Amino acid sequence: MDEFQSLGAGLAIGLGAVGPAIGIGLLAAKAMEAIGRNPDAAGAVQQNMILAIAFTEAIAIYALVVAIIIKFV
Amino acid sequence: MSSLLSNPKTLAILIIAFIAFVVSILGGALGNAFGFGFLSAPLAHIQIPAEPVIAGDIFPGFKLTNTMVTTWITIVALLILSFFATRRISEVPRGVQNLVEVVIEFFLNLTEQIAGAERSRRFFPLVMTIFLFIIVSNWVGILPGFGTIGRIETPEEVIHHKEEAAEKAGVHVDLNDIHLQVFEGEGGFGYLGFGSLGDDITAAEWEERHGAGEGKQAGVLVPFLRSANTDVNTTLAIALIAMVMVHFWGFSTLGIGGHLGKFINFKEGPIGFFVGILEGIGEFAKIVSFTFRLFGNIFAGEVLLIAMAFLLPLIGIIPFLGLELFVGAIQAFIFAMLTLVFAVMATTAHGGGEHH
Repeated sequence: MDEFQSLGAGLAIGLGAVGPAIGIGLLAAKAMEAIGRNPDAAGAVQQNMILAIAFTEAIAIYALVVAIIIKFV
Repeated sequence: MSSLLSNPKTLAILIIAFIAFVVSILGGALGNAFGFGFLSAPLAHIQIPAEPVIAGDIFPGFKLTNTMVTTWITIVALLILSFFATRRISEVPRGVQNLVEVVIEFFLNLTEQIAGAERSRRFFPLVMTIFLFIIVSNWVGILPGFGTIGRIETPEEVIHHKEEAAEKAGVHVDLNDIHLQVFEGEGGFGYLGFGSLGDDITAAEWEERHGAGEGKQAGVLVPFLRSANTDVNTTLAIALIAMVMVHFWGFSTLGIGGHLGKFINFKEGPIGFFVGILEGIGEFAKIVSFTFRLFGNIFAGEVLLIAMAFLLPLIGIIPFLGLELFVGAIQAFIFAMLTLVFAVMATTAHGGGEHH
């Protein structure tokens, strides 16, 4: 039973991190592109990028919460 | 790189940092496998519900939990801060007043940009309060002493809890599976000290030996203080306050019909009706997403810090403390900004410019 719990927790966070990882990669790539095109706007782009990354990351955090609940509750 | 290394100051700093890092690794759980581990404490107990600081109820059915204590510390810290910031208000701000004014002005400008001059004055107090409360409670939560100093739950209590939980789940308790830590001293008060790794025993051993030994006590550490947002109740409370106020503003600006009309919509045919219903469900999803975004980030941070304090104690953990400062600030900012954006959405009439 415990073994399956660990397996489930690992799968939950492992699979749950795939989507946000792609998302953050896309976000950062686009932000870099934008800074490359318009270096003057670097400050504004960076600020918005960090905000957007925090939203994307939240989805990975949901998966992490599920994993923690599986493992520890 | 070669010019960096030729500078004696940089070289000295690099060597010191490297030595510190090696000491940290050796002092941690990895070094413990080779007989070192002089810095590490056992992996702190990770538990999702907040633990009661005092074993009994303070009111019937109401326990004093460690996250609640932190919430009060946060409130007192904010009160003291605002007292000192406004004690001697001067035209040319100095000291604390200056610092607070910078933060407040930044947010006032931001709310004015997003909500416009008129509405921003109404939304600003709540948005600012949410930001200050969350950022202070997050930053207070990574101070030393949080999660490492506390009351020791006696083995009898631990076994009793495990048996209760096992009875619910319908499984049998094996005393060999219950791990207890051994602390110095007596009297039910303890802390996770340096080099105490490897002092843990199982409940079965504890019963066999009739105690942990002379001048020692076994049990599970229940910290007196724990970051407030690692408790779902705290984050849910903030989320509920935010969303109730958002809808209060929606009703007070658009009227009852105007605001409800966004969710129960008969004017635009069946598609409009279902879109309205979906938006209504979305309002509840916002509460859930608010709650778990903050809880998840801060709780995950806490688990990360516990794991790092176990693996790389004292020195290797410093970058992660910086990361947690950053995450705490960003999450506070996001919570406040989302509240503001939702408030703007709720006070904007349905359809916007399309029907004019």
